[in-house]
Amino acid sequence: MLRYIAYRSLIALFLVWLVVSLVFLLLHLIPGDPAELLLSQGNIAADPQAVAALREKMGLNAPLWQQYIEHVTGVLTGDLGASFRDRAPVMEQILLRLPRTLEVILAAAFLAALFGVPLGTYAAIRADGKIDAFVSLLSSVALSTPVFVVGSVVILIFAQQLQWLPAGGFVPFSEDPVQHLKLLILPAGAVGLSVWAVITRMTRASVLEVLQRDYVRTARAKGLPRGPILRRHVVRNALIPVLTVLGLEMGTLIGGTVLVEFVFNWPGLSGYLVAAVDARDYPEVVGIVMVISVLFVFLNLLVDVVNALLDPRISLGAS
Amino acid sequence: MSRAARKLILPGILVGLLVAVVLLAPVLPLADVRMMDVPGRFSGPSAEHWLGQDEFGRDVLARLIWGGRASLFIAVGSALAAAVLGTTLGLLGGYFRGVVELVTVRASEVILCLPPLLLALLVVTLLGAGTGPLILALTLLYTPNYARVVYAATLQVRSLDFVTAQRAMGAHPLAILTRTILPNVLPPLLVQMSLVVASAMVIESGLSFLGLGVVPPTPSWGLMIRAARGAMEVAPMLLVWPSLALAGTILSFNLLCDRLQSVLDPRQITAGGALWLHRPARKAAAAPQPAAPDAPLLRIRDLAIAVEGPRHGLDLVRRADVTVLPGQTVALVGESGSGKTLTSLALMGLLPDRLAVTGGEALYTTREGTTVDLAQLDDEGFRRLRSTEISMVFQDAAAALNPVLRIGDQLAETLRVAGTPEAGIPARVVDLLRQVGIPDPERRCRAYPHELSGGQRQRAMIALAVANSPRLLLADEPTTALDPTIQAQILQLFLQLKRDTPGMGLVFVTHDLAVVAEIADRVVVMYAGEVVEQGPVAEVFARPRHPYTAALIASVPEGGAERLVAIPGSVPPPHAMPPGCRFAPRCDFARPLCEAAAPVASAPAEGRSTRCIRWKEVT
Amino acid sequence: MFDLGTSPAPLVEAQALGRNFPQRQGLLGRARDIWAVRDVTLAIARGETVGVVGESGCGKSTLGRMMMGLDAPTTGAVRFDGRDLDTVRGPDRRRLARRMQMVFQDPFGSLDPRRSVGAQVGDGLRIHGIVPPADIGAEVARLLDQVGLPASAASRRPHEFSGGQRQRVAVARALSTRPDFIVADEPVSALDVSIQAQVVNLLMDLRRDLDLAMLFISHDLHVVRHLCTRIVVMYLGRIVEEGPAAQVFGTPAHPYTRALLTATPSLQPRRREAGFDVLPGELPSPANPPSGCPFRTRCPLAEAACAEAVPEFRQTGPGWQAACIKARPESVA
Repeated sequence: MLRYIAYRSLIALFLVWLVVSLVFLLLHLIPGDPAELLLSQGNIAADPQAVAALREKMGLNAPLWQQYIEHVTGVLTGDLGASFRDRAPVMEQILLRLPRTLEVILAAAFLAALFGVPLGTYAAIRADGKIDAFVSLLSSVALSTPVFVVGSVVILIFAQQLQWLPAGGFVPFSEDPVQHLKLLILPAGAVGLSVWAVITRMTRASVLEVLQRDYVRTARAKGLPRGPILRRHVVRNALIPVLTVLGLEMGTLIGGTVLVEFVFNWPGLSGYLVAAVDARDYPEVVGIVMVISVLFVFLNLLVDVVNALLDPRISLGAS
Repeated sequence: MSRAARKLILPGILVGLLVAVVLLAPVLPLADVRMMDVPGRFSGPSAEHWLGQDEFGRDVLARLIWGGRASLFIAVGSALAAAVLGTTLGLLGGYFRGVVELVTVRASEVILCLPPLLLALLVVTLLGAGTGPLILALTLLYTPNYARVVYAATLQVRSLDFVTAQRAMGAHPLAILTRTILPNVLPPLLVQMSLVVASAMVIESGLSFLGLGVVPPTPSWGLMIRAARGAMEVAPMLLVWPSLALAGTILSFNLLCDRLQSVLDPRQITAGGALWLHRPARKAAAAPQPAAPDAPLLRIRDLAIAVEGPRHGLDLVRRADVTVLPGQTVALVGESGSGKTLTSLALMGLLPDRLAVTGGEALYTTREGTTVDLAQLDDEGFRRLRSTEISMVFQDAAAALNPVLRIGDQLAETLRVAGTPEAGIPARVVDLLRQVGIPDPERRCRAYPHELSGGQRQRAMIALAVANSPRLLLADEPTTALDPTIQAQILQLFLQLKRDTPGMGLVFVTHDLAVVAEIADRVVVMYAGEVVEQGPVAEVFARPRHPYTAALIASVPEGGAERLVAIPGSVPPPHAMPPGCRFAPRCDFARPLCEAAAPVASAPAEGRSTRCIRWKEVT
Repeated sequence: MFDLGTSPAPLVEAQALGRNFPQRQGLLGRARDIWAVRDVTLAIARGETVGVVGESGCGKSTLGRMMMGLDAPTTGAVRFDGRDLDTVRGPDRRRLARRMQMVFQDPFGSLDPRRSVGAQVGDGLRIHGIVPPADIGAEVARLLDQVGLPASAASRRPHEFSGGQRQRVAVARALSTRPDFIVADEPVSALDVSIQAQVVNLLMDLRRDLDLAMLFISHDLHVVRHLCTRIVVMYLGRIVEEGPAAQVFGTPAHPYTRALLTATPSLQPRRREAGFDVLPGELPSPANPPSGCPFRTRCPLAEAACAEAVPEFRQTGPGWQAACIKARPESVA
């Protein structure tokens, strides 16, 4: 088991290195000069003097390998540079905003699992029944509605028309816990809806598949009552792929809350990213992409490890 | 039209309509999407403007259709570009493996290290907003998905024998790739395609919504939603229309993807779930009767098993008669489709969904000396008999054991069913494993099924079956998947179990006549769902009284005959059973009379029976 | 029957053939050798059917694939008609493929479900230009007739046929290029007994009519005994006994062959009592084979000397040898 974790961690480290290098390559190998790209607006060419100054400031005049080494050491020491816009250290901003983004994601995942797993299981057990058809329709619609549409519509309904909840904004938990949670509900719900749809469908498919397995028949042949068969043999085995999917979904969300944060004015990491993209603030964009990617890779690592803990066959196969 | 194709009609029509509308946008009588009409801003639906006007007084319907055109163009364009690129990479990587795999599939997967929306944002940052960069970003984003899917499918198809046969034939690798592998990986490719179109629309509209995608004044759904949010109080419907259009389009593509998947991959049809979980209990369960003192352990008479539901009447087993005495070993033997496994499953109440016992009786004498008709029991009734009275060893132990539970835990669970005191369970588990010949049982009980060899897994399966000392043990092809030396070990284990528990009846289901000769006292020969002959093994093998039994024995390459007897033709499928004797079309002895009516059972000798009108002439 | 005294020049020869599938342990771990086949030397002449028997994991399928040139050997070489398969490449190799064909085990996986039977049988005719394009239809019909299928079968897809019929189609496909050598890998194992007999009879007829060299791989001793002129018994990647069918199965010289024969159930059971002579234990892992004789861990005759070296082949009769220091013909009671 430990060997397996070590093995997966090595792979994760390798992937992080790949991501760091990939971002570097994207910045430096695409046609055109980053400095010039940065300063030009639309069709108006940039002022050559300003470009030269910026090149100097960005260290673009050094040889490529030297820039690469600086880039990598910067990442290793947690120094992601300072913002073009306000000279603030990028890392500081990220550390301030990252927890807020994670909060939305965790709340969404929690809600999705809480409602998705039992509903998916029930839909599978009563496959082709009325509730199954309803759940299936609901999850199809939820899956097909982009999160910013869901967000805009729930604002329209719950904030605009019914006026039950605030339309958006952020208050730190330490200042006003109740308002903080009230503000969290809509964004978490909007993000959670699509995750819920994925979890429900996955659970249903997985439970259906496990129900056909021979070992469920064996459990029946052993004379076990329904409860233990469902708990120990069906749901337990069916949840393994569901957990994987939940983990991967959360990974996608780390970079995907951009829209929700924008819709609800939630000052998380992703909103910061959009602002940085808008302003073409290179150090900011690179820093955020890097942090999110590293988180993404490590979340995948976590999923692998949890999977190996739940399914004894996995660690054996890899070692 | 097949049922499968019918499922594609609805999503096909939806997607077709969408595509037609956006393609026809230039010729439709639509208002100019850029024409502003400031006095008319935010007006509701009217004759000229069916869906009303937006914040600049522009026609909403026209902007919706043109917006859809932009979205679909970007989504379909990038999905196609990524499909071509990814399929090529996946095919090459999957077929040639090695270094080629590294530079194609593995290299493209680096992109998957970045969250999708993030990658798109990064490309847009570098290249600026607009249709071109969007298509490029989305193509880049989805290429690895295709590469992965095609790679996996290629690997799977490549290992199939028909591809190996092409290689052995001397076909050129490119010919194999295009003619044999590509058509076979097309189904997952199609599914992936519709999935990618839907997903690309989500990202495109999201970026446009953020103002980083399609550039105004080109209409786009994302941009329309963005604008409508500012006017939510004045004109909420402005938000609803593009939202509906977007969600509806994505829903159509997702639906197409779902349906394609279920049509192209029939394994996924698992409709019904598990009926045993919610089938209502039978109300009038017959009360157990006291059994006659000389009653056999099991007497099956005239048992019939058929498909339930609309195709009712499709009988898979009929007129099955089997009797098992305490301590007796009865072999059910027959080829595939003979109904031997179904008959044994019916005795446990474990028939697959949609199949049910539709006639006859199966009287079982319990430990308390009462008679239960297994043909009348509901699931709860069976549950009380399973494991403690009747138990079963399944064919494929690797699949029949739960992969994530330790062997010892699975045994303990079984022991608890019979109310074994908790304190005694660990010792009993070790005892059982020792009894079935698993070496080092104290350590092995902590093993997971995959950590045991095939032979040991089958031993563990047998331990599960005999844990609660059943009086009737059913074994369904328990040695078929095993190698000869291991098969011999398992057969020996069965003989030893029989010796140790003299009262236990054993029903041994097999297709192998030689195994029957080795283990059974009586043999019941089944063909096409019917019992054709039965009797003591030695007598039946020495002098078969049914042409099928005789032919079966003569087709075993064991006698040193120069040429084997091959039965012409094959077993008829359940929906095309011949009238009269089911073996008649393949029988050398058949007469017109055989096809007129199903033959009744005759008794050539004490304890024997055959369903052939010419049994006297067979041997 | 075949004259075993005068040995004709072999068509296919395997010399000291070995195949290693090294398995890596973790990311940085050392690769561990797993030999599926080791030191196999074998020659097959025209008109000869060599049966390879052994339990799963003994390397018989890998041997078959190497003899076909589908898998490259790690050590040794396969010579076909005097040419080393490994040195022939590209178009030359594909031309050579015409003369060697294969029949597979799974009647459902061995035919492309998407193409008609006629197209698949005709593939070889087209690739190698066996007959002019205009005559392909007639030739396909002739081939189908040869395996006992109607000419109308050509236009149908594989799913319309039963397992036995599909296996006949696979045989017809293999025959289409007029090969000299056929490898049949468990061709009847997936079939019911009565259907199995149809295919066995077909293969017997073809061998007689076409003077083919055939390598017949099977775990079913009865079928092999019925069909083959010479037998090769494998255990853990090595040949343990090789010789004429009648001798090897009549009075096996290697204890493993004897054990295999005893273990195989028979219509005339030799053992009605529990406690009959059953080989104990299981196949050792090929990743960690025993020293010396691979069979010694389960062998009833094993002694200290067996662990020292892989036993040399001992001649026990003309064309009959066994790799055991105690090799001695002995009938199975």
